[in-house]
Amino acid sequence: MRAFLGVALSIAAMVTASFATGASAADRLETIKARGKILVGTGSTNPPWHFKDDQGNLVGYDVDMGHILAKAIFDDPTKVEYVIQSSDSRIPNVLTDKVDITCQFMTVTAGRAQQVNFTIPYYREGVGLLLLKNGKYKNYDDLKAAGSAATVSVLQNVYAEEMVHQALPQAKVDQYDSVDLMYQALNSNRADAAATDMSSAKWFVLQKPDQYSEGGYGWNPQTYSCAVKKGDLEFLHFVDIAFREAMSGVDFPAFAASFKKWFGEEPPVPKVGFPGEMR
Amino acid sequence: MGYALDFAAVLRGLDQLLWGLALGLIMGLAGLAVGSAIGIVAALAHVFGPQPARTVVRLYVGLIRNVPILVLALFAFFALPQFGIQFSNITTFAAVLAVYAGAYLTESFRAAMITVPQGILDAGRSIGLTGSGVALWVVLPIALRNALPSVGNNFISLFKDTSIAAVIAVPELTFQARKINNESFRVIEVWLTASFLYVGTCALIALTLRRLEARFPKF
Amino acid sequence: MQSFLDVLALSSDQLLHGLTITVVVSGVAVAAGIVLGALFGLALTYGSAVLAFPVRVIVDVVRGTPVLVLILACFYMPAGIGLSPGPLTAGALALTVFCASHIGETLRGALLAIPLAQTDAASAIGLTFAQTLGYVLVPQAIRQIAPNLVNTAVEIVKASSLLSAIGVGELLLTTQEIIGRSFKTMEFYALAGGIYLAINLLIATGGSWLERRYRLR
Repeated sequence: MRAFLGVALSIAAMVTASFATGASAADRLETIKARGKILVGTGSTNPPWHFKDDQGNLVGYDVDMGHILAKAIFDDPTKVEYVIQSSDSRIPNVLTDKVDITCQFMTVTAGRAQQVNFTIPYYREGVGLLLLKNGKYKNYDDLKAAGSAATVSVLQNVYAEEMVHQALPQAKVDQYDSVDLMYQALNSNRADAAATDMSSAKWFVLQKPDQYSEGGYGWNPQTYSCAVKKGDLEFLHFVDIAFREAMSGVDFPAFAASFKKWFGEEPPVPKVGFPGEMR
Repeated sequence: MGYALDFAAVLRGLDQLLWGLALGLIMGLAGLAVGSAIGIVAALAHVFGPQPARTVVRLYVGLIRNVPILVLALFAFFALPQFGIQFSNITTFAAVLAVYAGAYLTESFRAAMITVPQGILDAGRSIGLTGSGVALWVVLPIALRNALPSVGNNFISLFKDTSIAAVIAVPELTFQARKINNESFRVIEVWLTASFLYVGTCALIALTLRRLEARFPKF
Repeated sequence: MQSFLDVLALSSDQLLHGLTITVVVSGVAVAAGIVLGALFGLALTYGSAVLAFPVRVIVDVVRGTPVLVLILACFYMPAGIGLSPGPLTAGALALTVFCASHIGETLRGALLAIPLAQTDAASAIGLTFAQTLGYVLVPQAIRQIAPNLVNTAVEIVKASSLLSAIGVGELLLTTQEIIGRSFKTMEFYALAGGIYLAINLLIATGGSWLERRYRLR
């Protein structure tokens, strides 16, 4: 019996030892510094936000926000550990200290803001149109003029038809069950355009500039922010400053390079003189 | 470290949890019904059918039993639409369950068929039944009864497997528990409750099955 | 678009890495599950009520709970007491407990099936309880439960795919990552299915080889 107990105890000890104790909310920035790296929660399956490139490295715009923070804290953009999580885990992993911050194309909503603290926004997503470069219609205006002659493919959901009709009131809407199919409908000319996240549309154009073009009109705006735990106000403030200075201050060149890489366009250069965000 | 249990948030979501449980049971029952039909046909083909039929059945069982149901579900949900096969997520998952259960039930029915004593088969022949007559009118009824405990266990497994439907956003019990977990963050209460509901339901199913078995005497 | 083979060539290292995690985490869960399951089985069969009762509760609760719920519970519940296990730790723990509960229950059945006369005979020739267990009961029970062990190992490999839901970079999540950038949905899910099939057929083949080798003659 003593032997059993011994084995059982050592297993228990092993299991307990392997539990990493999370950062306490007391002073997260100090905890991060003591740890030597920041823990950023994000996904791994959605380009251009967070995905594995052909070499298997985690890359994307969300991932670059993590590098910006590591640079701000340690003056070394590599001192960051990404914790891969599903979309369902974005809030729970922040609340259980599995990550210091979540950057995973997270839409800001009032409901979520009651559970976590959102940082300043780093992207405004919307719905855009992906078209074939040599297709019948060249841009949003052509599609709108075509009226009910135009067919738009979209990922199936309850609001899909209404969403497309906000921008193209007469267009025929074909709903598809998977993202692949939605694009296949476009590729095979069954649809004249695919209505999808603007960021995805831009990413596709970036990958295949000879094949695709983007319609030049976005609608249905939603704001993306990173999220930290409630109570981490000092840390939140720090992150906001780091993001703001990346988007409008000394770290702008690195940020602009990232933005251009993932969305194919230059972000507006901050104007010298009166700070634009104070307008 | 202190943690004060507070079930208020879970109780507020109890309706959703129970509806989720009902949805899981319905998908499980649908999977069992269709899966049993598949299993009976496949088992008959394996025991009484020609060699090619046996090979097909063996391939089906070997393939389905060795691949995770989540991979099957994701394939059915995301890849099958490319062949023009497209259903709602609930129907898709129930269909996957049926195909999955069919493979396990084939084995249950097959085992029940081959353990029917030779004497009973001979008795069937002696009253003038042909080979297929013996299969359908003698072996099948006995095998159906004798496979009952195994079918019951399969149903319990199937019911537990319905939790995996949460991954393709079917609003069953696990999906609802995850939702409450995300909204309220009562981590301990949510998962205790979900586990309790699953364990309790499984125990009830097991009890019902035992009653059912007692009513039909085993051959 | 790239062809399937182009994408496969580029991502073979990633797939191999995912496969390694699947194999290692399943292997650890099965090995630890056998040890813990043996303790469970012995406690259930020979333990005093004080020991057997809590084990009985654990085994029944775990066996009545879906693996996905076990995984999510192991991942999130410790937060209630201030612990925060990583996805790999939580996932391995969930699979281990799942494996152990099934083995514990099977072992109990196998031990109870051995005629009591053998235990009496063993004590008649002066063996202690520990010796009886080690030389008489356990060797027979192991032969009895060997086919079950193989089935459990297959179930664990399949269940390890559920760890993708908490962000463990095993075979399925790796597959989803490749699909995320290449859109080769059908091809890569089929490939993942084929790899799981191959692993499990290997386990089954190895299992029946061992069974033949150690069959009672």
